[in-house]
Amino acid sequence: MSRLLLAFVLIVVPFIVPMNAQTPDPQAPPPPNPPAEGATPAAPEPASPVPSGESWLTGSIDVGYRWRTDVGGSLDTYRSIVNLGSGPKLLGADFTLTDPKHRAFDQIRVRANSWGDEPYQTIHVDAKKSKLYDFSADYRDMAFFDFLPSYADPLMGRGIVLNEQSFDTRRRLGNFQLDLLPGNWFIPYFAYDRDSGSGTGATTFVSDSNEFPVPNTLRDQTSLYRGGVRFELRRFHATLEQGGTTFKDDQSVFQNPGSTNFGNVATPIFGQTTDLTNLLAAYGVRGTSIYSKALFTAEATSWLDLYGQFLYSQPDTNVYYRQTDAGNLLLQSQLLFYSSQQYLVSAAAKLPHTSGSLGAEIRPLRRVRIVQSWLTDRLHNTGSAASTQTLTSSGISQQTAALLASSLVTNYSQEEIDLFYDATSKLTLRGGYRYVWGDARDAVLPREGLMSADQAKLRRNVGIGGVTYHPTQKITVRTDAEVASSGGAYFRTSLYNYQKVHAQARYQALTSLSLTADFTLLDNNNPVPDVNYDFRSQQESLSLFWSPLGGKFGDFQGSYTRSTLHSDIGYLVPQTLTPQTSLYRDDAHTATALFNVKLPQVQGLAPKLSAGGSFFISSGTRATSYYQPLATLWLPVGKKLSLFADWRYYGYGEAFYLYEGFRTNLVTTGLRFTR
Amino acid sequence: MRSIKRAVLVLIAAGLTTRAQTPAAPPAALPAGYVGSETCKICHEDIYNDFGKSPHEAVETSAKRGWEGRACESCHGPAEKHTESPSAATIRNPSKLAAAAADKICLTCHLNQPTHVGRLESSHAKDQVACVSCHKVHANGPNGLVLRKPAAINEQCASCHTNVWAEFQRPNHHKLPEGAMSCVDCHNPHGSIRPAMAQSFAANEPGCLNCHGDKRGPFTFEHEPVRFEGCVACHEPHGSANPRMLVRADVRLLCLECHASLPTVNTTGTIGVVPPAFHDLRSPRFQNCTVCHQKIHGSYVDRNLLR
Repeated sequence: MSRLLLAFVLIVVPFIVPMNAQTPDPQAPPPPNPPAEGATPAAPEPASPVPSGESWLTGSIDVGYRWRTDVGGSLDTYRSIVNLGSGPKLLGADFTLTDPKHRAFDQIRVRANSWGDEPYQTIHVDAKKSKLYDFSADYRDMAFFDFLPSYADPLMGRGIVLNEQSFDTRRRLGNFQLDLLPGNWFIPYFAYDRDSGSGTGATTFVSDSNEFPVPNTLRDQTSLYRGGVRFELRRFHATLEQGGTTFKDDQSVFQNPGSTNFGNVATPIFGQTTDLTNLLAAYGVRGTSIYSKALFTAEATSWLDLYGQFLYSQPDTNVYYRQTDAGNLLLQSQLLFYSSQQYLVSAAAKLPHTSGSLGAEIRPLRRVRIVQSWLTDRLHNTGSAASTQTLTSSGISQQTAALLASSLVTNYSQEEIDLFYDATSKLTLRGGYRYVWGDARDAVLPREGLMSADQAKLRRNVGIGGVTYHPTQKITVRTDAEVASSGGAYFRTSLYNYQKVHAQARYQALTSLSLTADFTLLDNNNPVPDVNYDFRSQQESLSLFWSPLGGKFGDFQGSYTRSTLHSDIGYLVPQTLTPQTSLYRDDAHTATALFNVKLPQVQGLAPKLSAGGSFFISSGTRATSYYQPLATLWLPVGKKLSLFADWRYYGYGEAFYLYEGFRTNLVTTGLRFTR
Repeated sequence: MRSIKRAVLVLIAAGLTTRAQTPAAPPAALPAGYVGSETCKICHEDIYNDFGKSPHEAVETSAKRGWEGRACESCHGPAEKHTESPSAATIRNPSKLAAAAADKICLTCHLNQPTHVGRLESSHAKDQVACVSCHKVHANGPNGLVLRKPAAINEQCASCHTNVWAEFQRPNHHKLPEGAMSCVDCHNPHGSIRPAMAQSFAANEPGCLNCHGDKRGPFTFEHEPVRFEGCVACHEPHGSANPRMLVRADVRLLCLECHASLPTVNTTGTIGVVPPAFHDLRSPRFQNCTVCHQKIHGSYVDRNLLR
């Protein structure tokens, strides 16, 4: 809380202190009138946040306090989906610092969003100085809470709801890049990216014949260092980049001694119940990688442009895993009950990965363009794991050592040619052909049971067509379609024989009214016996934006989307090996709307009301409803200060998992300071 | 008459130039048909002033591109006729050209930049979505050519991709409606060699790993679809009614779509059809495969992805 207050003071005070209390550049022009009030937090970005060179600090900052009513229904589900809480908040900030003397920087622009124990806190800073540098920094702190009872309920049959795979973690992401601008055509750059996660959760310790819910801790971190140089010349460009990462992951799973965990299986096995009385399993994963990147574009002639890229990375990991557990546990393969186990694994994996593409745009005639492209993506993973398992039963220890080797290979390629013909200045036709091919295989040796080796080939022919029609400035129609026939696919659910259609139309009916319609369809079938996959997804959308009288009294934007999805695929029921079909259906209606109404002015200050929200209602396999109405009132109390009050409701319901529903109200009031 | 008009315009322009505080020095001699930006300013002062504060100002002031003092005409073409007969018909307006023709103007300068290396794979380019659909060429401000705030970016993308935005209204979604992320965090609107114009991590790894670094591996024991088809094999990244943005409501049914318990001899030519052979799906224990196969994205130590 104290840090929040300090941040509040540091950030807000400059917005409150009168302009003449600062130390403006004496040569700087007089300060301008402040920008107009009124945009909602989700309003479009202002065209010009700062008239540059006119004030050292301009922008706005929103601070406030949020109250959340009690959550009706499942708090865990609420936290998994929404997770907003009560308390003081820095809701948003967007400001620009300008140095009129252009000493260390020309401008620094800062954007921040949702600080104050929020589930997603972000800040972004851009700083630049002409002909010297361009710097950007981005930091995000995201909460990941997931505890959905319906996701893992192995004890539902016994009337107990227990999630055995849940997370309460945060991920923190930082990206920093510095471009140096010593000249017009030569640009060195350096960057550092960091991604880390930490927190706790619940998982299972899996033993033969039983699995035991246990707590775990999660902690991982990836650092990426990269640097490169861009050559940007009139005829061609080349970028060369070299980078590398370090990675560590220190997960652990534990159960403290002194407690007995009976796991999910309560029934005796061979007359004995299994239990876990002590557990500590810890991963020590360390990884590194190097990568190289080379990009080029070239305007070879007036009728030929060339594009290409070569990308190579080679991540590797080394793992040391240590597990000790005790209890009454069963080794099923030997029908051996044991009282303690030590399991040690030393493993390593390496994944060289090469990608590349080449392409050309050829303009042989004024109305004709030919685009030819080829790309490939090849990765080859090899791994090995050496393990030692020591079981102690009735005071006798038995040690088993094993060595496993694994490999996974995929070579993917595609080649495509498209021809674009400008039939008129308003009509462009496109036709093309794509051939996709590849092979994939994986193996773990020595073989064990049914899991040993697999391989598959990918062969796909795709015909492509498209039309863009722009008869007037007010109407644009775009359609494109693909029809594919395959001779092989990697997975049963992969794209096989499919038709894909996308159509979009935009109509500016009036200066104040625009309409957009959108249609997408994917129909995928795999008629191979033992697959019989039938998948169809379709979406239709209509949206409009209406701003009567140039938005003098407000505007309205809204959209409605209907989507349907059906999927049928055959499988054999494991316990009986009888054919069965897996069905999935989803029939959803989604609507969003937002009214912005400018209320009558009071002493030259115009209050504004925004109201709207969204709803999602679906029927089918997992019938769900989700409502998010909202209303915001903006009340200017001066040229630089507005009050706002925001109300939101979240309501979630499940037709089958009734216990997961929740509903709550959030009310936020606050101030917007503007300079 | 025309020459008188032009002379008057040039004289006014000259007068304004001398009074400007920081004028861009006009080139000594303009090529035939060109009038220089100062002449354009006479009628289009607002645009000229905004332009002067945008990154495109470099075209006006830098000799690099060869349009010093003629930035307006670098896109709009020679303006001599327009000054003589001011009308929309006498000047090129890129926003009214066919997308390819308009883009060609932009690419005159911008082709040779890393941004466009994936352009041939871009569905925007293939669908004739012009640069100016997203970029404001004259905009005021250092970042004014394109939106930068996540909420504003999302609103712009959603204005065309309405049905995609609808998916974000589903309960389980990436936090775009909340303004914590934007579409360009995951997609490169200029094109990419990855499917769906997805961003990359490091050189050529899926962009999802920018945030989900713990799923990167490489794992000693991989789960094939993660490598071969990516996260979208099992997840709907825009949003889903299903927990964890899965593409199916029940985990076991999602797994069974591939692991269909088919005979050992693979008649389908696809990967991973054999297990689970002996789990009794009627038991509540086997309703959710990931309760036991918890390392579903790949395991460092266990071939069955159990730990």
